[in-house]
Amino acid sequence: MKNKFLVLFIIILTTISFSKTKIVFWTAPNPNQEAFWKEMVSRYNSQNGDMEIEWSTIPAAGSSEEAILTAVASGRAPDVCTNIFSGFSAQLSEIGALYEMSSLPGFGDLVKNRKMENIMKSWEYDGKSYIIPLYSNSVLMWWRKDILKELGWDNPPRTYSDIYKLSQQISTKDSDKFSIRVIQGRNWNDRWFDYITYFYAAGQGESYVDLDRYRANISGTTGKEVAKFIETMFKNKWTAVDLGDAAFYKGYIVGSLKGPWEIAYAKNQFPDVYNNIVLSPAPVPDNYPADKPVYTFADSKGLVIFETSKHKKEAWEFVKWIFNQKDFDSMWLEYTQMPPAREDLLENPLFENFFKENPYAAEYAKFVKYAIPPAQTTKTVDIQDEMTVSLIEPMMYGTKTSDDAIKDAAKKINKLLW
Amino acid sequence: MNSKSTLKRRDARKGAAFSSIYVIYSVIFWGYPFVWLFVLAFSKWKYFGSPKFNGIYNFLKLFNDPVFWKSFLNIMNFMLYFIPLVLVGSLLFAMGMKRLKYGKTFVGLAFLLANISSGVAYSIMFSKMFSENGPLNQMLDKLFGVRIPWFTNPQWALFSIVIIVVWKFVGYYGLIIYSGLNSIPKEVYEAAKIDGATRWEQFRFITLPLLNPSIVMILVFSITLSFGIFTEPYMITGGGPLRSTLTPMMLMYTTAFQKMDPAYSATMSILVALMSFGIIWLTRKIVERDVSLT
Repeated sequence: MKNKFLVLFIIILTTISFSKTKIVFWTAPNPNQEAFWKEMVSRYNSQNGDMEIEWSTIPAAGSSEEAILTAVASGRAPDVCTNIFSGFSAQLSEIGALYEMSSLPGFGDLVKNRKMENIMKSWEYDGKSYIIPLYSNSVLMWWRKDILKELGWDNPPRTYSDIYKLSQQISTKDSDKFSIRVIQGRNWNDRWFDYITYFYAAGQGESYVDLDRYRANISGTTGKEVAKFIETMFKNKWTAVDLGDAAFYKGYIVGSLKGPWEIAYAKNQFPDVYNNIVLSPAPVPDNYPADKPVYTFADSKGLVIFETSKHKKEAWEFVKWIFNQKDFDSMWLEYTQMPPAREDLLENPLFENFFKENPYAAEYAKFVKYAIPPAQTTKTVDIQDEMTVSLIEPMMYGTKTSDDAIKDAAKKINKLLW
Repeated sequence: MNSKSTLKRRDARKGAAFSSIYVIYSVIFWGYPFVWLFVLAFSKWKYFGSPKFNGIYNFLKLFNDPVFWKSFLNIMNFMLYFIPLVLVGSLLFAMGMKRLKYGKTFVGLAFLLANISSGVAYSIMFSKMFSENGPLNQMLDKLFGVRIPWFTNPQWALFSIVIIVVWKFVGYYGLIIYSGLNSIPKEVYEAAKIDGATRWEQFRFITLPLLNPSIVMILVFSITLSFGIFTEPYMITGGGPLRSTLTPMMLMYTTAFQKMDPAYSATMSILVALMSFGIIWLTRKIVERDVSLT
């Protein structure tokens, strides 16, 4: 009997000592990203004998956030996870679900080597870093070069007045056509691709929320200029609430804000239009200096380590290993076509070939250093929902003047932040 | 006598064994979440850590939340359009089916197809069809020179959602009424004819009263469905314009999974359940009749 126990004990001990530490790693459920991570994880597993990455995509649910929150609630959160947007990371940080990375050994070097020192600042929550951005999709204006030329424009409109002028030209010619799509939709996250992009552009990257004073920052000059622009466009019927499907490609509008994910779609679905596109930054107020860079919104997602992880140290080693791979970002770019969140995209020879072959992607890369993620607040959804209902929609439907809409929205957002 | 009671006991045991599967299932997948729902409603919790008791704070917040009440009013508005339309539509469908000589199964299945279609898929289809420059508006523009702001005008947007949901359920509810129509004996109509009743009188005094159980069933289904509406407004309008298509279900979802406040969302769900139960109870009180041919 004694011998049997001894054998059992030895077997258990051997199993434990030879078993690998498993790190559960979730990534975005997107075919391109899946292909990328599959290769990266298999490379890691083949090179590291003592640790094994158990990789899968974020489980199917209404949204990634829903799947992650359900996992957090039921104690099944992964060790490492990607596809986290900044607002969500702020919410998770607030409840203590994320592992602070800024104080970890090697964090500073990682940030420095990946050339993302400035980018990281806009991702901090309470002065600390809980997330490392993977990619940064800046938002730019797409213009129909062919239509612009017909109307006598060699370069795309730059300022609000330019857009008004173009709008007048179009509306006198054909009342069914419009200059630009001013508002992208009515969901809270559509505000990233219209109002917030205009705001960042007009205010040189100024935030729409004052995080130190817990107040909305939309009542100042920048907020007034942007709101006036939106109001003017709707009031004069130079844009419409619903422009229909594929309005840009069908020629109903001449310009629209879009992210780099649209490049592949345009190339495959509308190859003729694809060759007639010119990209420019978001429109700015008339007094905006022409020689100054125009800031824009960054649709960006990052990677986090969960506080609930039993292997935080090992998880951090894995994260460091990822970013230390020389070809990590170039491979990411090849697989996903989304610019890595680093400031040296156009200077780094690693990416030279890709951008030579993909001029539209290169245009996006130029703006990565001027692309800012949403404000690091836990109230992202509430704020942008209020922006939609109290600021944007009243101007779209002409139920309030821009000044009244700003006052109302600011009051409600302040209440949310209080 | 003895063998009879043994048989009864054996039957009872078998019955209990069969039903226990459902009971266990209900305890796990219904009972446990139900208890958890009540715990959450009186707590502060954001997925991480243990819930902290906060009394009736969530309820007080809910009673003062204009967005929640707006979503409740939207459902009332929705029902105002939906119930009459779906009731008349399914009644017409059933009466049409009754008069069909051939292809009843095909027609029935064809209408039922809408009911089993994916909500996401047909929402995308309708959003394209009803869009500003979509085929429907292009046709209206050509024929009458008008375009309807299907999803961009607050009242039209809700009505458009109603049209889609009616399309989905008219076949299903129609079949319920159709089976109700089939259960009315022909002799009753024959007797009425002999007594000189007109077609309208036959419908008004025979068909409609005898269809009462089917109509009540449809009303109950429609009210439950209205309070649970989610996919269509979520996919097509996102709750807009001006929150006119925001439903309690959408609000609960965004509150729980986007605003990270599952406790508040649980409170909403309790109130919504109570309100839908109350409306169903009231409807049954008003509409339900004891129908019997004897």
